[in-house]
Amino acid sequence: MDKFDVIVVGGGHAGAEAAFAVSRSGLSCALITMDQTKIGQMSCNPAIGGLGKSHIVREIDAMGGLMGRATDLSGIQYRTLNTRKGDAVQALRVQCDRDLYKKAVQKILKETNIKIIQDEVVDFLLTNKKAQGVITKSKTYKSKKIILTTGTFLNGKMYTGNIIKTGGRIGDESSIPLSKRLYSLNLPMGRLKTGTPARIKLSSINLLDMEEQPGEKPTPWMSLASPPKKHQKQLSCYITRTNKKTHEIINKNIHLSAMYSGEIKGIGPRYCPSIEDKVRKFQDKNSHQIFIEPEGINKDLVYPNGISTSLPKKAQQEFIFSIKGLERSIITEYGYAVEYDFVDPRTLKQNLETKYLENLYLAGQINGTTGYEEAAAQGLMAGINASNSIKKLKDFVLERSEAYIGVLINDLTSHGITEPYRMFTSRAEHRLLLSQNNAEQRLILKANEIGIVKKERVDKYLSNEKEYKKFYTNNLVKLKKDFFIDKNGAKIRLQEKRSISSLLSRNDVDEKKLFKPNKKDTKLYQRAITEIKYSGYIKKQIREINKTKKQNNKQIPTNIKYEEIHGLSNEVKEKLIKTQPQTIGAASQIEGVTPAAINLILIHLKKKELVSQNA
Amino acid sequence: MSVVYALATPAVKSAICIFRVSGEGCHDYISEIFGLDSPQPRRFLLCDLKNNETFIDRVGLILFKGPESYTGEDSFEVYAHGSLGVMSLIVDLFDSKGFDQASPGEFTKRAFINDKINLNEAESLSDFIESASSREVFLSGASLFGDLSKKLSDFSERINSLRVRVEAEIDFSDEGQDFMDGSLSNDLSLLIEDFGSFVSLCINKREYSNNKNIVLVGPTNSGKSSIFNRLLGYERAIVTDAHGTTRDMISSEVFFQSNKFSIFDSAGIRETEDVIEKKGIETSIKKISDADLVLGVFEKKDASLVSSFKKMCDKGSFFIIQNKIDINSSDTSFFDCCVSAKTGEGFNSLKNLVVSFFERNKKNNKNSQYLIRDRHVKLFNQVTKDLDIALKGLNDSKSLELVAEDLKNARSGLDEILGKKFSDSLLGDIFSSFCIGK
Ligand SMILES: Cc1cc2nc3c(=O)[nH]c(=O)nc-3n(C[C@H](O)[C@H](O)[C@H](O)COP(=O)(O)OP(=O)(O)OC[C@H]3O[C@@H](n4cnc5c(N)ncnc54)[C@H](O)[C@@H]3O)c2cc1C
Ligand SMILES: Nc1nc2c(ncn2[C@@H]2O[C@H](COP(=O)(O)OP(=O)(O)OP(=O)(O)O)[C@@H](O)[C@H]2O)c(=O)[nH]1
Ligand SMILES: [Mg+2]
Repeated sequence: MDKFDVIVVGGGHAGAEAAFAVSRSGLSCALITMDQTKIGQMSCNPAIGGLGKSHIVREIDAMGGLMGRATDLSGIQYRTLNTRKGDAVQALRVQCDRDLYKKAVQKILKETNIKIIQDEVVDFLLTNKKAQGVITKSKTYKSKKIILTTGTFLNGKMYTGNIIKTGGRIGDESSIPLSKRLYSLNLPMGRLKTGTPARIKLSSINLLDMEEQPGEKPTPWMSLASPPKKHQKQLSCYITRTNKKTHEIINKNIHLSAMYSGEIKGIGPRYCPSIEDKVRKFQDKNSHQIFIEPEGINKDLVYPNGISTSLPKKAQQEFIFSIKGLERSIITEYGYAVEYDFVDPRTLKQNLETKYLENLYLAGQINGTTGYEEAAAQGLMAGINASNSIKKLKDFVLERSEAYIGVLINDLTSHGITEPYRMFTSRAEHRLLLSQNNAEQRLILKANEIGIVKKERVDKYLSNEKEYKKFYTNNLVKLKKDFFIDKNGAKIRLQEKRSISSLLSRNDVDEKKLFKPNKKDTKLYQRAITEIKYSGYIKKQIREINKTKKQNNKQIPTNIKYEEIHGLSNEVKEKLIKTQPQTIGAASQIEGVTPAAINLILIHLKKKELVSQNA
Repeated sequence: MSVVYALATPAVKSAICIFRVSGEGCHDYISEIFGLDSPQPRRFLLCDLKNNETFIDRVGLILFKGPESYTGEDSFEVYAHGSLGVMSLIVDLFDSKGFDQASPGEFTKRAFINDKINLNEAESLSDFIESASSREVFLSGASLFGDLSKKLSDFSERINSLRVRVEAEIDFSDEGQDFMDGSLSNDLSLLIEDFGSFVSLCINKREYSNNKNIVLVGPTNSGKSSIFNRLLGYERAIVTDAHGTTRDMISSEVFFQSNKFSIFDSAGIRETEDVIEKKGIETSIKKISDADLVLGVFEKKDASLVSSFKKMCDKGSFFIIQNKIDINSSDTSFFDCCVSAKTGEGFNSLKNLVVSFFERNKKNNKNSQYLIRDRHVKLFNQVTKDLDIALKGLNDSKSLELVAEDLKNARSGLDEILGKKFSDSLLGDIFSSFCIGK
């Protein structure tokens, strides 16, 4: 029987990143997937990054993951969002060539020791509540750990109008036996749904009627590490809009939409509404924006972002034809909604291992998230933690104040989800600490401790940091001025000479006129400006973090008798008894545990302490 | 929780006294104490209170069934005749049943624990119980009945709705929508203004209770200590006919016309070589400059002496009082008030003078509706500061994520007062306010 340290089931974004992390940890790994030519496939829109998401990609990248690199190998349009806002909330969005992206992922995996197996997993090898391997349609494989990353495939059903097909995404079979198996293992499961728009031939649309949106110049890179020599050929996106007529057509046909006919029970994401939802819920808006995104460099295909739908084909055609520039569209694939099983992520520990079945880890859309980046992040973390556990190392857990990935996993495992979960910057209460540009400063050394980042990369990082410190002291601390130019161009004289760094902390100073760095130092200067601007806020956040840490870290003794704490409602008592939180912080994260309840627990603990002191 | 009881009315002879009893199982004692079988809750029941067949008093009884009670537990209240004898017999009875005497604030604590009231309401309730003057009762009443909480929740909601717009602008800037039109800065300054006027309606408990400081000053032997004692109603300060009797500042709380004051008797001021007396004089001078109201006590008209005292008080008001009018002729044209500490003559008008002075002077506090604590004052200041910085940032086109941070801090400040978990439904609010998503 073949044997591996870790088996990863699924070759999507979570699976690829998980397997890659295991191989970087120096362990043996098999990646079992239904169709190996589709490893790294983008199921929905061909773009990586965006608000809250590029942050995640950079974090993965700083820990040696593959997503940033694959993006740079396939990126055909780069744009930074929120340029008029500050550093922490700026985000890079990259349009990718769908085929090149997939190829890049496959190439990166091929360079490793990962064994790729094309098969369908239908069951687990179990011995007393421990997973010890998987059973596929044809074989049995043993392993110490299993990471399940089956995405939208578990009992996946696709809807177009009243036509229902089984499948995980268009052109792929759904994964039914495994779904049944998970239900029979009593994992808490539910249904979610998401949707995708029709695909249209580029040659059939009239771009002249649309607003062009070119990429950014100079073109940036997604990965913070050494990029490929050259960017791929860069393309533009285009913008058009729905109109009154479009909305009339949709309203007229809405009862035929799978989502409105009651066919679909799963909950869809509110931030990714179908065009039916947008028209129905926001009746007063008579136009919605559509981005026409290229599918690839030499591809006669576009992805119309903004009109995801599950209307019948005829209605889809009719409303698309009503849109400016799309009047003569040739539709190659129709939009559909997909409904699939997910596992309630509250059954996971912070290391993404299930509490139900030892050695089984879950990552990606199976945990109720949506998006390539969210999936990849979980894959990475599951891969690292599975490896750490084999090597008897500590769990690798990121704090909410340390990374968006920390926010993601903490949200999932402690609050669960009510709709497909996507990252937003506003989910991170310590947002100012978490810029896409400081991901390396935050994570690379931590990742290096467990040996998953290449040495050259770490060395380069360290020398960059040294260079920055040197630049900072030599120019910003030592250099002093007794005047500056303010934002209105007025010259302000100062009583005494002040360093550049202290002048930068003023709100009224024009930074560009204050100091003119050498060309090679522009980035360093920019970084200094950001750090100084944020420093007051950051100090405050750090104070808060430390404050809550202190209380949150208070240990709850394992022999605590919740039933003895008067005043706790029975419901809360039950939850606490079931979850057995180890710390006050963990207790306060449990749903329904109010601050009043936390106070009672604290009072109870205090009382116990007093009693034992007096005894 | 154990059964506790407390006398809810002062332990003095009065028409009636009220006992409160609360705790799981306290209703099990109803039949043995009051001879009633399964009486209806929330009814005023007349019955006989007995200790083992020994009649104690004919009383009124109201039963509350948890959670429909103040504490959220089963409880009852007894209205008995207010004789000290009855009270002590009832206490004996409850003790014999194994009820515990409630510690101060116990009932409120239980109400808080059982989620009957939030932290904020719990605090204002303990103010309510502690408060001595009728005006304070009124003030804490407003916060007690959820009005303060409601006001704060409203502000918290308003901040949230601003945040929704700012955060949408940050997280959905690629949607091609304008989430933050020019009205945002307007709405924010309006909010700041409203919050400011709300804060001005709040008075700090400490400010309110302690700041009515009255200091008696004057030359030695003018009768300050005698006036002090008379205002108190008992001999607290030592009175002698020697000059320089009082050497330390002594103080006491006094009540008249349902108002509470802190009154200070000071060392009479004169040139002295005595170290202890000197020290006393120094404190006197200091106290005078802090006082809200200074009463200068003199025996006779002496304009230059009066003005030398008046100079010492810089922020409070200065009234001149003539004492010993039993032996001197009163000079109502020069003095604000003429009294005799010996006979008590003129003391009613002295009290009126003081009360009306504070009524007049508290014109800010006149409309006050909310009694708050130090904790609140600190947080209110912080919230105001955060909002101001946010507005300034918005107008100076500072980075939006910093404005967002200020608004978030302001919101969490308010939520902290409300004792709520900082639960952020922000994203939900964004989705319900705007059409978002591709
Ligand atoms: C129709 C559609 C619309 C979407 N819309 C959006 C959107 O609007 N916005 C957004 O952010 N995201 C969207 N997504 C989601 C995005 O594609 C996913 O979040 C992301 O791909 C999830 O990655 P994953 O690794 O978890 O799973 P997937 O990428 O789905 O990969 C799952 C992998 O598991 C394999 N697999 C499944 N079962 C088995 C088995 N039993 N044995 C072996 N292998 C198996 C599959 O072959 C596949 O390789 C959409 C997806 C679909 C299908
Ligand atoms: N006849 C008369 N004697 C008074 C009156 N008030 C005070 N005295 C007497 O005046 C003397 C001084 O009174 P105190 O009250 O000690 O005066 P004081 O201002 O506190 O004095 P010092 O503490 O020494 O500054 C005592 O002998 C009192 O009995 C009054 O209204 N009438
Ligand atoms: Mg005296």
